[in-house]
Amino acid sequence: MFFHIVLERNMQLHPRYFGRNLRDNLVAKLMKDVEGTCSGRHGFVVAVTGIENVGKGLIRDGTGFVTFPVKYQCVVFRPFKGEILEAVVTMMGFFAEAGPVQIFVSNHLIPDDMEFQSGDMPNYTTSDGSVKIQKDSEVRLKIIGTRVDATEIFCIGTIKDDFLGVINDPVAI
Amino acid sequence: MSGEEEENAAELKIGDEFLKAKCLMNCEVSLILEHKYEQLQQSSDDPMNQVSQVFEKSLQYVKRFSRYKNPDAVRQVREILARYQLAEFELCVLGNLCPETVEEAIAMVPSIKTRGRAQDDEAIEKMLNDLSLIKKFE
Repeated sequence: MFFHIVLERNMQLHPRYFGRNLRDNLVAKLMKDVEGTCSGRHGFVVAVTGIENVGKGLIRDGTGFVTFPVKYQCVVFRPFKGEILEAVVTMMGFFAEAGPVQIFVSNHLIPDDMEFQSGDMPNYTTSDGSVKIQKDSEVRLKIIGTRVDATEIFCIGTIKDDFLGVINDPVAI
Repeated sequence: MSGEEEENAAELKIGDEFLKAKCLMNCEVSLILEHKYEQLQQSSDDPMNQVSQVFEKSLQYVKRFSRYKNPDAVRQVREILARYQLAEFELCVLGNLCPETVEEAIAMVPSIKTRGRAQDDEAIEKMLNDLSLIKKFE
């Protein structure tokens, strides 16, 4: 799920950036440092949307660098266990992507009447052939677990519950 | 994982920080990210180089999975859902998934029936009807 939240960060700036463009430099460095990162607590930082506050700079002993506490607004993507969302299938297994997050749906969590068919375009199909899941299919799944490592969040999902599975929305053509 | 063991979106157990935070529907995120991308296009020749992979993937995702494209429709969706005393998170899941029946809505957001100010089926049905009207006239 996407959220719009306020985060805080201590930015260190080299004196070469002081002067008229100090604030612009600070903001540019903030965006470069923070956009695209991921934490277990806040999820992926997708985009910085604004600066709420820049505190007084503190000169660090011995180096001349100055530390500014910066409060900024940003859009984050944070998946939750129990959350239901839509994703695109990327690979059989199957793996799906919802924005920056990868989700794995194991065989056990795919309805029993769907069988794996290998071949050029490997896919999962129901016995009557009416429903097919393959690369680039859009599916609705429920996240049942999340794992966080240093740089990303990885999810496990299921399509075994009611109202989950391939999305057959005629509007989404 | 500290304190995240009981995390469960189906029961709206997403932590205080996120319960109180502003939640965004895919269509709203789409407007924000596209705007940012346009700003980058104006100030540089190669905007694609300036954005992170996370940004790119998120932009592609929200463009693909936005139910409402028109900014006015997006605003209306939020206005309508806001009338039903839903938590931000619940509101956004409904706005993203657009369930068609009351049964589906409850399956998508179980907490609308389990929390203190539980919605009755009639209210949920009315809400879904209002949402589908917006889509028709978008």
